[in-house]
Amino acid sequence: MEFFIAQVLNGLSLGSIYVLLVTGFNLMLLVAKIIQFAYPQFVVISMYATWAVLRATNNVILAILVTIVVSIALNLLSEPIFRRITSIKGTDINATFVASIGLSMVLVEIMSHSFNQGFPISFSDSWVGGSVFRYGIINISRSSIFAWVGGIIVVVAFFYLLYRTMVGRSFRAIAENLYVAKLFGIPIFKTSMMSYLIAGLLGGFIALLLSMLIGTASPWLGESVALKVLAVSIVAGLGNLKGGLFVGLALGVVESFAIGYVAGSWSNVIAFVIMLIVILTKPKGLFGAAVE
Amino acid sequence: MSSTLMYFLGFSMIYILMAWSIYLPYRVKHLHFLTVATMAVTSYMGGILAVNFGWSFVPTLLLSIVIGALISYLISHTIGNAPTFTVVIVGITFVFIIKTVIENTDYLGGTIGLFGIPMLDHPLIFLLVFLLVVGYFLYRIEHSRIGRAASVIFTDEDLAKSMGIKPKQIGMLFQTISGGIAGSAGVFYAFFVGSLFPDFFTFHLIGTLMTILFIGGYTTMWGVIPAALILRGIPMILPSSIASWRLLIYGVLLVAIIAIKPKGLITKNMLWKLLKKR
Repeated sequence: MEFFIAQVLNGLSLGSIYVLLVTGFNLMLLVAKIIQFAYPQFVVISMYATWAVLRATNNVILAILVTIVVSIALNLLSEPIFRRITSIKGTDINATFVASIGLSMVLVEIMSHSFNQGFPISFSDSWVGGSVFRYGIINISRSSIFAWVGGIIVVVAFFYLLYRTMVGRSFRAIAENLYVAKLFGIPIFKTSMMSYLIAGLLGGFIALLLSMLIGTASPWLGESVALKVLAVSIVAGLGNLKGGLFVGLALGVVESFAIGYVAGSWSNVIAFVIMLIVILTKPKGLFGAAVE
Repeated sequence: MSSTLMYFLGFSMIYILMAWSIYLPYRVKHLHFLTVATMAVTSYMGGILAVNFGWSFVPTLLLSIVIGALISYLISHTIGNAPTFTVVIVGITFVFIIKTVIENTDYLGGTIGLFGIPMLDHPLIFLLVFLLVVGYFLYRIEHSRIGRAASVIFTDEDLAKSMGIKPKQIGMLFQTISGGIAGSAGVFYAFFVGSLFPDFFTFHLIGTLMTILFIGGYTTMWGVIPAALILRGIPMILPSSIASWRLLIYGVLLVAIIAIKPKGLITKNMLWKLLKKR
């Protein structure tokens, strides 16, 4: 029983990260109308920024600031590329997906050539933090608490923004129908920039939480995370924010159980196989897609 | 013939095969990366059959086409008319799963790799002949009712349905054929290189194939041929210090082509104009 609880707790902290990633991804999909495959890569680059600042200065506050700034900057810098692509006549959302894969290739190459000679980086123990509470094998680390609390705060704040503010109202209007939103005088460009900004901010938080939770990063981390995020968003139904919350947490728990019960390197496959089965049996997702 | 040139031509032709196997389903908007997983499966199957059971090349090739087509056919029952991303994610997920299975199976050489596959005596001739056969086959499909139906599906699926075209049937057919082509590419790769590593069948290969397809142009089957030759050729001309950034160059080119000329360098309209002038 203790083992079971320990795995659930671990899974929930990993799941919160997936939830945040899927939320950022869905925001770009619904408001900016792009499939941002490189979004998790931006998160990993921000983790590298955290690592670089911590190693150079050991200043935690500076590291947090730089991480968030880097993440916002990357997202805002990608905006002109995607705006250019979506403005070409006759292109659809698939083009943004292909371009974001290209972007992702570029970022992976930069990371694997430039930082730490391409070797995985690891964060110091003081950053990762030790155990806060221990009962038998149930071990609650500081980073897990950060992930849970951070996850809850960010999700609540995001849904508050979405349903209680003017910006959120414009977001939802654009997600519903871009042309009608335009007709009603919603500033499309400004709102779209806002979504890049918020996705960037979110990405910065994710980078901080993820670097504490797993304590390492490698140039190839983004690829597997990106695949998981896309798979979660499809299993939940593309663009379905509430479905993403549930499936993201579920993926974290499933992965954690797989790591707990299945031998080493095979554990990675379990979550993928389960998601594959769901996608193959329900290609439109468990909770219905908001985007065709 | 120098070995550098031989490797360049051989690899280019294998990449053209693989690019075609992605091009065909993209005629109905399916980015079918299951082909990369299929290539991994048949190349290892071919390697094991050749090394442990003494199979020769031709029967292995025929079997691999059948197996490749069968894998794609079975999966196409569920993703035959799925949206583009669903097809992409199913494909990439399979690639990750197959790679993990290979890495953890000692019989297949694990992460160390599978060695000692007998190499073909005249690989380029085999490849060229096979490429011509596949090319002719694709050309016939393009210029048949099915090819025209696919063009309608690409432009407007609802319109296609109203004309009595069944998108799922065509999607399944194209995915199955593309599986067969990818199956053959796997065996050619195994018998051309002689050793197999799970690291080859990853995101790098998917990225390279996508770059070839979109740089060359997805509106015609001819675009991938110059694209494969040029993109494989670029890293060979450049000094090795720059050539190691190959994937970065591909990534930049991929983003640039989508932002500037999303239909690729060679398009159907362009070929039409060229032929008309004559």
